[in-house]
Amino acid sequence: MSRDAKFLELIEITTKFDTLTALDKVSLTVAKGEVVCIIGPSGCGKSTLLRTVNWLAPPNAGTVRLEGQSVGQAPERRQTGRGIRALNTFRARMGMVFQQFNTWPHLTALENVTRAQVVVLGRSAAEAAERARAALCDVGLADKIDDWPEMLSGGQKQRLAIARALAMDPSLMLLDEPTSALDPELVSGVLAVLKSLAEKGMTMLIVTHELGFAAQVADRVVFMEAGRIVEEGPTSQDLHAPKTERLKDFLAKLTATQMPSAMAQKVVAHDPI
Amino acid sequence: MGLELSIFIDYGPRILVGFWLTIKIVVLAIAIGLPLGVFLALARRSRLALLRFAATAFIEVFRNTPFIIQVFLIYYVLPFYGLRLPAEQVGVLALAAFGSAYFAEVIRGGIEAMPAGQLESAHAIGMSETQAMRYVVLPQAVGVILPPLTNQMLSLIKESAILSTITVQEMTMTALRIQGETFRPFEAFIMIALLYWLLNEVVAIGMRRLERGLTRKTPRSTTLKVEGGR
Amino acid sequence: MKFDISYTFDALPRLFEGALVTLQISLLGIALSLCLATGLTLVREATGWTWAHRMLAVYISFIRGTPLLVQIFLIFYVSPVIGLDIGPFLAGILAITLNSAAFVVEILRGGLASVPKGQFEAARALGLNGWVLWGKVILPQTFIASVPALVNEYTQVLKATALLSTITIVELMRVSQQIYTRNYHPVEVLTGTFLMYFVMCFAVSRAAAQLETRMKRRQA
Repeated sequence: MSRDAKFLELIEITTKFDTLTALDKVSLTVAKGEVVCIIGPSGCGKSTLLRTVNWLAPPNAGTVRLEGQSVGQAPERRQTGRGIRALNTFRARMGMVFQQFNTWPHLTALENVTRAQVVVLGRSAAEAAERARAALCDVGLADKIDDWPEMLSGGQKQRLAIARALAMDPSLMLLDEPTSALDPELVSGVLAVLKSLAEKGMTMLIVTHELGFAAQVADRVVFMEAGRIVEEGPTSQDLHAPKTERLKDFLAKLTATQMPSAMAQKVVAHDPI
Repeated sequence: MGLELSIFIDYGPRILVGFWLTIKIVVLAIAIGLPLGVFLALARRSRLALLRFAATAFIEVFRNTPFIIQVFLIYYVLPFYGLRLPAEQVGVLALAAFGSAYFAEVIRGGIEAMPAGQLESAHAIGMSETQAMRYVVLPQAVGVILPPLTNQMLSLIKESAILSTITVQEMTMTALRIQGETFRPFEAFIMIALLYWLLNEVVAIGMRRLERGLTRKTPRSTTLKVEGGR
Repeated sequence: MKFDISYTFDALPRLFEGALVTLQISLLGIALSLCLATGLTLVREATGWTWAHRMLAVYISFIRGTPLLVQIFLIFYVSPVIGLDIGPFLAGILAITLNSAAFVVEILRGGLASVPKGQFEAARALGLNGWVLWGKVILPQTFIASVPALVNEYTQVLKATALLSTITIVELMRVSQQIYTRNYHPVEVLTGTFLMYFVMCFAVSRAAAQLETRMKRRQA
């Protein structure tokens, strides 16, 4: 296989929290430019899997590789010296977006986006500010540059968090339930931003409950349950013609409340800027 | 017996000399104790188990013993191991060590009051532990930390009176001397009590101003409570 | 010189006696302080005496703004001058009580704040007033809510009693001074004393921390 096909590899990841096995020998490969959505009931390990990629949740066993280079190899859970510096470099290449936004309240929107560029990538203040303006513009916050995060709505905070990650020019985006903490009317704005990112060819790994969104953007859907990948395949097949009973059940329960086609309509209809 | 006002005039200058030394000692103790406290707070979160244990032990020991015995022990231990210092310097060291334990707890409380996602997001974007502390955690912690930190600084002013027991010529020692010479204890002690009270209020008001100036940009409602000395 | 631990061991029996006195004084101190603070809390919360409220505020500010050692000296040296020959022990207890009460009043204020307003309304609706309202309904709940902070305050009192050595009360600190001024081994003796204080205070503050987590869990 080409290097692009094996852009990100998770190999036999096993994670245990005390006696609970959160991930049980999970392997997953993501190609460059691919958008993969991870779905599954809460507690199935999908967030843990995502946090394994940038080693925020170091596994007990397994390896993570980005473009063939090892991000981390269990059981070394806490690296030191050169290892940790290498890890930080990897992390800078992977933009992460959290459910709870985690914008930095002591910095303005612009500073939220410039700080890590300067500190981690060593960009000059002017260069960082220029890149930050472009990123804020991309997520539709061009007019909020000098606002404090506290003045922003949940959806705007999340878009700020996305801009913060984008400004690092990552080669991969990790999104952990990016819309779960949002009021329903704010969801579509965030999804529209993510959709335009996908169209630009950003490689993305997304944990989500938004099936309509997944149906629209994802190239592939991964269904997890109890720490394992139960089903994995192209989006159309997974969501519309599931092979396993479990996924059928799961989809039936979710669609009863969500109606993916209606959600999909909403995403299309929204204009981000 | 009536109030002997002349005592205030005759001995006021001597008291003020002691007052000045009290201020100098406390400022020096804070200058040494605060960085030490930051170090202890960070050491308590270190990856190295030994460092973590040493920092915790230091903090617990200094917080769970009376300051007066810390002072005496340090006063006698230093020459025991060949280090002869003037009483004043011993006093500064003791006060700094005592203060650092409380400062460390306040700082740790401020760091822990922060949502875990703040540190996590800093790590996720590629910041090292030090960078995450410097650019994300500590700037936010300042607003939470400042009020209890002020209380600790005020308690150092008060604890410094105990240095009179190892003959440091600070304000309380001066008052003891004056009452011995004049047999007018009320005048001597009420004079210094008022000066301590004044200093306490001035510092408290000044710090509240500073706090408002620093946190005007980002209002925070979290409060921390840590008990200091007397 | 070398650290000769036999001096520490030799001092232990007398240090234990001193520790016992320290415990007695501190318990008496916290008990009296709690009584005084309860009275002051009632004055502050259940009366409309503005002048008393003002004096109380000044008293609390003075106690919190001045060193305990100076408060002890004030009471100990001044009381004979104004004709009150109360001796070091009473002066010491008085100083500790007056000092601690200023802090306990604030603790009780916090405890009182955690009593739901509905408790007042419910009691008034039942026709309860004055002593019954406070004594049977509000104060018990205030005390229960304040327990962890009060236990914590006790460690402060425990440490504060060491200052009474300066006015010749023979508690743990004074006992150790008496021992080392005779055998000239201050480091060994003070180390033993130091550890003894640590064990007492650490045990009490651990207990306070545990009480606090337990009470938080019960509320959750």
